[in-house]
Parts: sequence; structure tokens; C-alpha cells
Amino acid sequence: MILSSTPVAPALMTLDALAEGRSGTVAGVAPMVLADGVDLARRLMELGFIPGERIRMLKRGMPGGDPLAIKVGNSTFALRRFEAALISIQAV
Amino acid sequence: MAEDDNIGAEGQVQPMPRIALLGNPNCGKTALFNRLTGARQKVANYAGVTIERKEGGFTSPAGRHFRVLDLPGAYSLSATTPDEAITRDVVAGLRAGEAALDAIVCVVDATNLRLNLRLVLEIKRLGLPMVLALNMVDVASKRGIVIDTDRLAKELGISVVETVAVAGGGEKSLLHALDRMAPFRKVVAQPLSAIDAVPVEETQQEVRRILAAVSNDSGDTGNLSERIDRVVLHPLLGPVILALLMFLVFQAVFSWANAPMDMIMAGVEGLGSLVAAVMPDGMLRSLLIQGILGGVGAVLVFLPQILILFFFILVLEDCGYLPRAAFLLDRMMGGVGLSGRAFIPLLSSFACAIPGIMAARTIQNSRDRLVTIMIAPLMTCSARLPVYALIIAAFIPEQQVAGFFNLQGLVLFVLYFAGIFAAMAVAYVMKRSMGANSHQPLMLELPTYHWPHLRNLAIGLWERVKIFLSRVGTIILTLMVLLWFLSSFPGAPEGATQPPIYYSLAGMLGRALAVIFAPIGFGWEICIALVPGMAAREVAVGALGTVYALSQTGVELESSLQPIIAHSWSLATALSLLAWYVFAPQCLSTLSVVKRETNSWRYPLLMAAYMFALAYAASFVTYRSALYFAGG
Repeated sequence: MILSSTPVAPALMTLDALAEGRSGTVAGVAPMVLADGVDLARRLMELGFIPGERIRMLKRGMPGGDPLAIKVGNSTFALRRFEAALISIQAV
Repeated sequence: MAEDDNIGAEGQVQPMPRIALLGNPNCGKTALFNRLTGARQKVANYAGVTIERKEGGFTSPAGRHFRVLDLPGAYSLSATTPDEAITRDVVAGLRAGEAALDAIVCVVDATNLRLNLRLVLEIKRLGLPMVLALNMVDVASKRGIVIDTDRLAKELGISVVETVAVAGGGEKSLLHALDRMAPFRKVVAQPLSAIDAVPVEETQQEVRRILAAVSNDSGDTGNLSERIDRVVLHPLLGPVILALLMFLVFQAVFSWANAPMDMIMAGVEGLGSLVAAVMPDGMLRSLLIQGILGGVGAVLVFLPQILILFFFILVLEDCGYLPRAAFLLDRMMGGVGLSGRAFIPLLSSFACAIPGIMAARTIQNSRDRLVTIMIAPLMTCSARLPVYALIIAAFIPEQQVAGFFNLQGLVLFVLYFAGIFAAMAVAYVMKRSMGANSHQPLMLELPTYHWPHLRNLAIGLWERVKIFLSRVGTIILTLMVLLWFLSSFPGAPEGATQPPIYYSLAGMLGRALAVIFAPIGFGWEICIALVPGMAAREVAVGALGTVYALSQTGVELESSLQPIIAHSWSLATALSLLAWYVFAPQCLSTLSVVKRETNSWRYPLLMAAYMFALAYAASFVTYRSALYFAGG
């Protein structure tokens, strides 16, 4: 279940695929509960990855590598590609 | 209304109002707390857990005395981490042993309301008296962010004040607002389900609506921090900068500390001669000079080096570099199965493994956390520094290598690196044996850079001085006196050929242990020092001070420890002892914290066993190869 989605979203992609320096808008966060009971999707939203928020890929690790530095609103968070892949975005 | 609410109608003293500062991580909450309370803080732990609890007091302009609690930073009261759970429980009045709060001061970063206001809206649902401190308004206005404070107060339905925690007087508006809120009536918080019931998206919609009404802030703006990060987080430049910074720190620890160390040394020696001059020769004089001044002085002398190390850690933390270091190292740490998040606990462990092990609580995954705890004591803590510094100064010549590297600093760097390398290897083995290979989230905030603030730095360093001096004054002093007794009784028999300590209780123990430690080059004097050194590593230096002061016949304290060991140990023994201290679990407090944190005896025992095994093996190899190369 995607928590919120834009009706027609042709350019929908996951955040981990966003190129360095490119921006987008969060479209949704896929539900994911970790083995230790942490609700990862809710946590990502609490950090600001909420549908409608503007995001930008500031820094990617070495090619193919972790982690990613992502600007969301006015904050910057480091995520691994695994978490970033839960976030679907509409690239600008 | 009474003039002073602390005094009731009959002159009875009412309980002081208790308030708490609450906010996102990195909102300047602790700076505001320091501003309110100054150095008058009580730092302890929350009952039953090892999360730091900071409490202080202050007096408002109207003369009211307040007690204030600095709650752990939280992104949400839904509480994912143990820190957040504490904050949630204290605010909701659910934490046993914590009296209910009279008011909450919600601290927000004015430059990042988009993130910070969500927590404010969550807390509002609890229905407690609260005031919003719009912090860092100076930075916001510099960036051209305009916030309509009155409108914000109206939208939120609570009073809003502007604060600048890093400037003198920047807290005044908050004090006045608290006075206006008095007298405080007890309000019972709404159940926490009021918070969890609302989806995050709904809260954020409210935030957006409020932001649109009160602020011109458009959200994503490129700023200086991003430009700095382009260099600092660069895949090639970033690690180089990190390595240079770390190297600078270790060089500074050695080269800056000389003058103050000489001063402390001279002071202790002066005191020793003074005592020697005014007191008649006897048992008490020996206890004072050899036992207390010799032992405690030998430890006290390392205060400057410890302060320099903490100075750098605090500066790097305050300016926002530490999470960047975690970012850079995430990949490398991922290679051995750890999260980049483990970097902060591990870095704290360079100061002391105990706060490091506690900081591991921010790691959500229990396996990652356990591995981080198990390797934390391999990071070179500041208590090893006295031991390293003593041996390096005595055995490593002070010369330049390749033009500008100080050889002593280089050896210190190698010792630190040996600990890190061993930690990574142990982590790799542990992760393999636990067979875990699941994805772990990182979710680490990279806060905006800012200049480290002198006042916060001074308060942070003052905390360390207090902790160090109270250790010197309690554990170390006690052990030194005890050691002096063990080393002085029974006295030497008639016609003794060895110094008196050889025949004492401590001497007997040392000689017994020397059988085990002879293969790695430790004589009985070192073995005596290792025993009290179990309680805390730096005690070994004090103990050596006492042991050698007592084993030199007729020698006053003026002849300090360093030249004595320089002529009584071989280089192989010195290197072997350095290797021993890289690995040996010589710290009972660490083991007891591990017991408390893991809630089992299994892990502290496992830790002690693997670290002793590593220490013995490393010392054996070091000693034997040093002998071989020295002999060949």
C-alpha cells in the first residue's frame, strides 16, 4: 500500500535512483516494519519524508555505494539505499 | 496574586515549579539549557537506565526559582529510540521517580520549522501548559527568513518567544514568558494515544498551513552547509580531511600539553618538598609523599592531555562535523557489518568507553548495538593516555620524522590505530558468528554547520574536569592509599638486599603474578601496578609512581617516574606494556556498564575474556619480536 499517491504520476521513481543534484517531490512511503518492530515507514515520515515535501539528492556515496545525503525541507539526512528505496518520488 | 509564588500566604515555601526543555535533536536545546542554568547543573542518569539526565535551576526576573530538565532530543513522541521513550514518558508523567512537569518549554530551530513544528503539534495534544522558544532567530533572520511570532502564537494557541541561546541575554524573553505563566496549576497530561492516533501526514498538513500563514520560508534553499558538504562529503577528499583532522588531534594532544603538564608536575614536586621540609621523617610523611602525592600527582598530570582530546571532540560535535564523519565511515563500517551510526558511540569511546557504550543506545538494531558495545572498549580511551604518554615519553625519542611528524605523536597514532583495527576485526568475527545479514537503516541527520560556541565548550570541558578530579579524589586516592599500605607492610627483614616493597604484601602479589607475566616481559613492579590498574587504567601510572617511589631507597619524589622507568625497563618491556594496554580490559566500570546495558553477565565476561586473550597474545608477539630485533 502506498500511503498517498498522485493520480497520474508518469515520472514516479524511488529515491535511491535519483541522480546527484536532482530534485523531486515525495509521492509516498512504502510500509516496512523491521524485524525488531520499528515502523520504518512511520519513522521516515517523522524525519520529514512526507508526501508533498520537496527533496534533493545532495551526495551519493561512491558509485553504487551507501550512504546517500538527502535534503528534505530544510534538513539533511543520511539514508542507506535500502531505506531510500521505500520512498517513491516524482522527479522534477 | 501573590508577589512571589514561591512563598505562600503563610510564608510556607511552595514546591519549585519544574519545567522541561523539549525539542528535536540539533535545535540548540542544550545551549539554551546551559544559558539558563550556567554551570550549575546536576548530571546523572535516569533511574535504571544509562541515559544522561541533566537538571539545573535558575531564578526568573520576578524572583521565582525554577527547576529545569533537559530532555533527550526527539523527532517524535511515538518514540523509536530509547532516548525518545524517556522523553515521552517524562512528558506524559509516566516515568517512575520523575515528578510531573509544571510546564514544557518546546525549543524549535527557527530555520527549520518545517521539521520542528510537527513535534510541537504532537506535544500540544497532551494538553500541558507550554511555551514555544523560537531559537536561533538570529540565524534565521540572517538567512532572510521572516517569522510572524504573534501570528504563530495565535495559530498554535500558546505563547511564543524568540531566543538566541548562544548570545548573552538571549534567554530573557523566555524567563519573562515563564513568569507570565505562573502560578502553575497541576494539569494531568492527556493519554499518549492522542499522539499516535494522528497520522504524520495530517500533522504535516497542519504544519504547512501554519508555515504559509506565518513565514516566508520556501523550504529547500541551498546554503553554506551544502557548499561545505560538497567538499567534506566528497568520496575522495572527505576521507582525507577526516584522516588529517584525526591526525591533528593526536599531534595536538602531545605537543600542546607540555607546558601545563610541566606546571602541574612542578606544583606537585614543590608540595612534596614542602611536606618533606616541615614534617619529621616517619610513616605519615611516607604516606603523604610516596602514597598520595606520588600516586595522585602522577595521574593529575594528564589532565591537560585529556582536556585537549575532549576539546576537539566537543568542537567537532558542536560544529556538526561528527555526523559527517559517520556518513563517510558508513561504508567502511558497513564492510564489517556495522552501521555508520556506530561511529558516534565509538568516537565517544576515545574519551571514555562508558559514555560510548551508553551512546550505543541510539542504534536501533539490537545485534548492531551489541557488537558496538563489545568493541567500544578497544577504542583508546583517555584513561589509557596517561599510560601511553608516560611510556612514550620515556622510551620514544622526541624527533621529527619526514620533516614534520613528531615521532612520539606518530607512535600514539599507531596505538590508536591498533585499537581501531582490532575493533573492526572483532566486529567482523562477531557479526559473522551471529549470522545476521539484514538491512539496517541509517537515518542520520546531518545538521547545519555552525561555529562552535565558546560558552558551551567551556561548560562541556568543565564537566570533564569535575569528573576527572572527582575520580582522582575518590577512586584513585583510595586505591593509592591502599596500595601504599600493601606496599609498606610488612617491612623488610633484617639484612634485606632488595628494596622494602619487595618484601611487602604487594611485593608478594607482584612476584606471584610475575610468573604469569614474565613471558611478556613484565617484572614484579609492573605486576603490582596492574592490580589496582584493574579498577581504572590510569591508576596503573599512579601505582607505578608509588611502587617506584617506595622501591628507591632514600630517593625523594623529585626524581619523577619517567626517568626511573626509562632506566629500569627494557624497550621490549615498554613496547609490550603498550601493546597490553591497547587490548586489556583494565576497567571495572566499563564491565559493570556492559552488564547493566546488556542485562546479563554473559557479555561482560565474554568481553573480559576476549580482551585479556588479545592483550596477552599481542604483548607476547610484541615482546618476543622486540627482543629478537634488539638481539639480532
